[in-house]
This record gives sequence, C-alpha cells and structure tokens, in this order.
Amino acid sequence: MIVVPREEYRESLDELRADVESMAKSVLGQLLRALEALESDDHEMAHEVIESDDRINQQYLELEGNCVDLIALQQPVASDLRFVAASFKILTDLERIGDLATNLARYALAGSSEVISEVRIQNIGETASSQVREAIDAYVDADSEACRAIDERDDELDASCQNASEAVVRELIASESDRWDIEQLLDDVSRILLTIRDLERIGDHAVNIAARTLYMNDGEPELIY
Amino acid sequence: MSQTDTAETTPNRTDSQGISTTTGETVEETRPEWTSYEAGGETKLAVDDLDVHYGDDHALKGVSMDIPEQSVTALIGPSGCGKSTFLRCLNRMNDRIRAANVDGTAELDGENIYQDGVDLVELRKRVGMVFQSPNPFPKSIRENVSYGPRKHGDIETGLLAKLTGRAEPDREEALVERSLERAALWEEVNDRLDDNALGLSGGQQQRLCIARCLAVDPEVILMDEPASALDPIATSKIEDLIEDLAQDYTVVVVTHSMQQAARVSDQTAVFLTGGELVEYDDTEKIFENPESQRVEDYISGKFG
Repeated sequence: MIVVPREEYRESLDELRADVESMAKSVLGQLLRALEALESDDHEMAHEVIESDDRINQQYLELEGNCVDLIALQQPVASDLRFVAASFKILTDLERIGDLATNLARYALAGSSEVISEVRIQNIGETASSQVREAIDAYVDADSEACRAIDERDDELDASCQNASEAVVRELIASESDRWDIEQLLDDVSRILLTIRDLERIGDHAVNIAARTLYMNDGEPELIY
Repeated sequence: MSQTDTAETTPNRTDSQGISTTTGETVEETRPEWTSYEAGGETKLAVDDLDVHYGDDHALKGVSMDIPEQSVTALIGPSGCGKSTFLRCLNRMNDRIRAANVDGTAELDGENIYQDGVDLVELRKRVGMVFQSPNPFPKSIRENVSYGPRKHGDIETGLLAKLTGRAEPDREEALVERSLERAALWEEVNDRLDDNALGLSGGQQQRLCIARCLAVDPEVILMDEPASALDPIATSKIEDLIEDLAQDYTVVVVTHSMQQAARVSDQTAVFLTGGELVEYDDTEKIFENPESQRVEDYISGKFG
C-alpha cells in the first residue's frame, strides 16, 4: 500500500482545531470578564470586553473562511468532514457568546445587577459560564458523554432563569406605582430581565456546541434536532 | 468495523453463527453493522458469495451485495481491489477471460445469471456496458445507435428487408432519436447523423456509446470509469446523465473519483486491496460516517 499522507491537509485540520480552541478560550475569557464587570461594577473591565469584541469577530470571519477553504480545496470526508462541519457551526455559537458577553458588559455600564434582592445574577452567570467551559472542553477532548451531560444540565439553567425572571416581575408588581424613582425601577427591571435572558441564551449556545461536538465525534445528530 | 477488522480482533472465527475464541468459549458474532444494509427499493441484482480467481490470483473474495433497481450504485477502491472485476461479473464479461474462474451466484431479477443455459447475448442486452474510453464504431452516428437493435433483429433495415417490404426506416429513425435524446446528445448531433462518429468530441463519443447501449433497451447499465478520460465539462454532462438515467435504469458505476461517487450515487460499495468488499451503504453514510476505519482511511486519503 502506498502511503499518501496529505501532509498539508492534515496540518490544516490540526491548525483549524487549535484556532477554534484558541477562539473559544478568548470568548470564555470575555464572558468571565463581563460577569466580573457585572459583579463588581467595574466599568473599565466592561469597556475592555466591549472593545475586544471586534477581535473575536475578526477571528470568527477568518476561521469561517478557513473552513470554507478546506471544504473547497480538500473535500474532507467522513470524520474530517464532520470535524470541519461541526467547527463551522461551533464558530457561529462562539461568536454569538462573544456578542452576548458584550451585552452583559453594557448592562454593567448601565447599572448594578444586584438591585433585586431575590435574584442572584452571579449564580446564574456561574452556571452559564460553566456550561460554556465544559462545552469547549468537550470539543477539545472529543468527549461525547460530556456533551450529553451539558444538554441535560441546561434544564437547570433554564429553570434558574425562569425563577429569576418571575422574581423580577413580582418585584415590579409589588412596587408602589407612585414611587418617585419609578423610571429607575423600570430601567433596572428591563436590564435585569435582559441579563437573565442573555445568560439563558449563552447556555443554549453551549448546548449547541455540545450538539455539534457529539455529531463530530459519533455522527450522531441526536442533540441537534 | 469491517469484516476483516472483526476477524482481527476476534480470532478463530468458526462459522457464521458464532466465534470460538482462544479460550474456547463461544461468543455471539458481532458482524459489522453495514452487512445488514438493505438499500431502498426492489433488488435488481443480488450477488451472493461471489469469488473470482484469475489463475492463482484470488481477485474477488466472497462478495455479497444487493443492488437496488432505478438507482446509482458506485463501486470505489484502489487499483487492483477487484471493483472492475466485480462489475464485469454482472454481465459475465469475465467469461471472455480464459483464466477467470467465477464461483457464487449473481441473480438478475431472481434468476442466477451463472446457471447453465443462460443466453449471454440476451444477458448483455439486458445488462449493457459503457467503458472507460469512448469506443464508437468507425461508422456514422446513426449506425452506431442502430447497430445493436439491427443485430438483435429488433429493427429490420437491410436490403432483403427493403425488397420484402419489412424495412422499418421510420422505426429506426425514432429509435435513433429517442436513444440520442435519452443520452442528452440529440440536440448536438441531430443535423449530422450521417457523419462519422469518430469526428465527435470525447464527451460526445461517450454519450454516443451510452445511446448505443440504451438503443437495445437494457435494464441495467454498467459503467467502468465512464468519465475518467473526459474534461470537467464533459464529465459534468456524463454525471448529470447518470443521475437522469437512474430514473429508468439500474446504474452501476466504477469510478476512481471519490468525489464523483459522492456526487452521483445513491449507495457506495468500497472494495479494498485483496478483492474484499469492506463496506456497502448509503453514499451519505459512507462519506459522512463510515463504519470501517479502513474505509475512513481510504476515503480520507490516508492511504491509496
């Protein structure tokens, strides 16, 4: 049997894997900094997150182009094809998580996240960021079991977000309508509801990453559909 | 996991029911998933345990597969893997090779084509063949198409037929037009049907050969690398034609181009060195998630 290693092709696949991992870590860093900015009302950190989003977007476009090049020029098949197709989709989820981290940073600039005593934004944020971290690890380690675990745990995050949203609405209803700071209250409520919604969406993107990783590993679309 | 992979990891296979391990215990055989593959649609050709020897060379080893009607089945694999040998078994072209010895059965609509008394001319009319290099006769385009039906006596156009009033020029014209249209060549040649076929381009010659094959009204069309001698445009036309023909015919195509197999076929059979059918499944399955690591390595270009 003549060995045809397709060295350049294999190097391109390895590079893509390393680049997606690198982008994923950048995005996770953005998310963690945004959560810290929310927790500590750190406006400087919030600005850093917002300014760094361009770099993430550039990285996303570049890597998406690399995926298209690989498909066009190397025609990957079988596990290579699943890897490129999954990575192509995962890049979009990473970019969206980056955007949502930017949203969180903007909320940090707009006001405190701890204005409603029953709602612990930091707890929800920790769950969401753990989901993202574990999804990235599952992709890097090609760990199918971890993918299924991430999908199952997303229900917990969804429940936390649901409970928190209800608590915020209860707070609004309970407030006296002639409060002098009603405008401030409405601002706070809107911001907190958006924060909760964005954290819930971050969890959904983590599940998407897990779903694509499972397809990449086993050809199983069970979490995608 | 392929048959061979299974054999390598579970030694001392004794029969198709169970495996006797080195410790003597019998465990249930875990056959690779693809061996239970059933393509959709009615089976046109059912090949069972087909072996071919060329003298001492064991060219094809116990190949079994069902080929569904009105679909495209691609046979891929490295040179010398037995895919062309397999193709030629399907209309007994290997009978023409003295040293070839074929065992096993190949059923066309349930009738074993290797049983005694099979009319080979009739068989090859039902199972036509298109070869790698276009090989039109050095005759007119019209005669190339009508040659088969004339030989089979399906249309009569000779002098005797003319003298006795049995000539059917209109029927011949209709047959030529229909065959050339079906082969997507009519528009390009209808104003020069009496020109020599050797004046056509390579791609046109190949489509003429397909028209010639269609003129005798086959049920199965075997194609042995039908586009490997053609440029990309001519290749595209042949590929479009293959897909189109599968609406009416059962097409089996050998190709060296994995991309071509992926583009045109409904199911793909992968043969690897040693005349072994390693995996047979839906084309999407083969190219997205094959069972066998050897198939994965082959189609990914890790060896060839």
